[in-house]
Amino acid sequence: MALMKREEWEDLVRDVDWTLSYADDDAVFPEWQSGTGKIPREAWSAWEESYKISYPEYVSIQAEKEAAAFAVKAALQRSTIFSSLDEGWKSCAKVHFGGVSLAEYTAFMAEARMARFGLAGPWRNMAVLGALDEIRHCQLSLFFAHEFVSKDPQYDWALKAFHTNDWAIVSARSLFDAMMLAGNVVDTAIQLPLVFETGFTNLQFVGLASDALASGDINFANMISSVQTDEARHAQQGGPTLELLMKHDPVRAQWIVDKMFWLSARVFAVLTGPAMDYYTPLDHRKQSYKEFMEEWIIGQFIRTLQDHGLKKPWYWNEFIEGLDIWHHSLHLGVWFWRQTVWWKPQAGVSKAERNWLNTKYPKWEEIYGPIWDQIIANVNCGNMQATLPETLPWLCNACHLPLCTYTSSPDGKYRVRDFPLTHNNYTYHFCSKVCRQIWWEDRDMLHVKTIGERFLAGEIQPRDFPGVLQYMGLTPDVMGDDAYGYKWATDYRELLGPESSHPRPNSIRGRERIPSEALSIPINAKFGNDFVMHVVVVNTSDTMAEVAQRVAYRSVGKRVRPQDRDMVVYYEGRAVADNESVSQVGIGPFQQIFVDYASDSRRGR
Amino acid sequence: MIVEDAVGPILRMCDEVESVIRAIQDDNPADLEIVDRGAYVRVQRRGFLRVTRGSLERHLGAGFQMSRFQSIMSAFAGRIRTSSDEIVWYLQSASISSKENPR
Repeated sequence: MALMKREEWEDLVRDVDWTLSYADDDAVFPEWQSGTGKIPREAWSAWEESYKISYPEYVSIQAEKEAAAFAVKAALQRSTIFSSLDEGWKSCAKVHFGGVSLAEYTAFMAEARMARFGLAGPWRNMAVLGALDEIRHCQLSLFFAHEFVSKDPQYDWALKAFHTNDWAIVSARSLFDAMMLAGNVVDTAIQLPLVFETGFTNLQFVGLASDALASGDINFANMISSVQTDEARHAQQGGPTLELLMKHDPVRAQWIVDKMFWLSARVFAVLTGPAMDYYTPLDHRKQSYKEFMEEWIIGQFIRTLQDHGLKKPWYWNEFIEGLDIWHHSLHLGVWFWRQTVWWKPQAGVSKAERNWLNTKYPKWEEIYGPIWDQIIANVNCGNMQATLPETLPWLCNACHLPLCTYTSSPDGKYRVRDFPLTHNNYTYHFCSKVCRQIWWEDRDMLHVKTIGERFLAGEIQPRDFPGVLQYMGLTPDVMGDDAYGYKWATDYRELLGPESSHPRPNSIRGRERIPSEALSIPINAKFGNDFVMHVVVVNTSDTMAEVAQRVAYRSVGKRVRPQDRDMVVYYEGRAVADNESVSQVGIGPFQQIFVDYASDSRRGR
Repeated sequence: MIVEDAVGPILRMCDEVESVIRAIQDDNPADLEIVDRGAYVRVQRRGFLRVTRGSLERHLGAGFQMSRFQSIMSAFAGRIRTSSDEIVWYLQSASISSKENPR
């Protein structure tokens, strides 16, 4: 018997709304959940999904997808593929499993909220299928990772990561909570299906699949590209919702898109950027992260947004500049603070890899070369302690990533800057003007304490780096180390000589003095052209010479080449005399200072 | 991406990819661009692209249900409109002829 075409009957089943008579519409669809705002209630009857599917079709297709994904998994389970995978590539998978598995579950909750509070029947139907999709994605990610737990306990973080306070998870959780759970469902439909799933997840689930396949991880490539076929469908909840919003409240639409685009781009710079440009073996890289971003986000996603009448975000130039910067800085931070992650970051700076980076990113050598050179010198001299952190970087109050964003200056140099904001007598710090603006506009929602703030508030005990690792849930069997055991540094052995080690000079103290508790204050400090700002605790009675020592301790000989020169402290743009104390200068808690070698000090504040 | 205002499906690695591409070529004989990145293949054209059930049945066998296209499409560029007989990808603001634009 010939089946009727879907178009002949679907209108009877896709919209099952009726006029409520036993309850008020406002009670069933409260504004704080349904979020219609300026969109009139009756306008929602025009909501029409562009990607239509019936429930029987859904069940049949999903069964087919599941069978295909599990067939590949079963076929490869007895093979030796896993043991032959590159350790750097395995880190890509571990980052994905830990960072994504339970985010899929959060996405299920977002879909379920849209399925309940969406103001159009067809939307609620689509969201029900979306919720089922997300449960599938969560289960797939957990199950595929589970196979490897007995071989490598880092895979256990597929389930564990989101139950910890690891810094990367605090950042991801802050983004996903804001995107999926904190807002009403109209905001959610723009933030999750439209911005995140139509735009950014393509990069991780489709773009990265090509690197996975080239690296021989057929199982992973198959799984993530299967997941994304669901996303391509349920992401279409965003389009019709955006159309209504553009008609009745375009300012709200533009703001939601702009905000979530930026915050997503920040997290992808640490989730996907290092995976594509550093962890994936050089021979298997299909494109650079920047090229994938240009393909999927700039070429494809932005064009679709413009088709809906949206403008490019107000910060477009900063975003484009960041494609050459953000993920390189964040990778450097992840590698240096490698004990704080559940994977093994591959440094990715052998000579061949460095050539590739310089080809893809012409500014790379100028900005990052000197820092890696100092690290390489320390590795080759066996000074491993200098390649490990002892303290915390300063984290952004909006994206929760370290303050390590270089931006260009009028003189053509790139410098890391702090963007502070004092509100209610408390100084917040941000990695960029854009993070600061987003936080200010949404300060009632984006208010998760950073790991640094928790540390300074005494929530992390003992109050030292081992205490921080313990707080993040990292045990010695899972905490990260260099993927290749530092073998890549042998590329630079010919440079080894008495001049190459650049050890910390005697003028920098061998170990940090502990400030007196009663008089100590935390400040945000950066040394020279180091790539990141630090949490530094000083005594109010410390002289500027002593403050310079404390700041230098975190950078000099670790990532900044030591020099036999005096150091100068800058506060509020001016050099401060060596013998003045913190209290005399007026440096208060959470304020920012800059320290540099004397003759070089005017260039970066 | 070479094509301006590119629209079209991004197909995931699977046995049917070559047949699907041939079906799309039948329905869009002019100006089609195919970008193969291993785990995915972009099939794209400026402003408007369609694939019909007739073409898919010719290459994949009779009785092909359009809803099955979903399991081989990881993503797409542009907007989409689906029916039992065809799938269309398009941009409303692309500079193409009104005959091609479904709106």
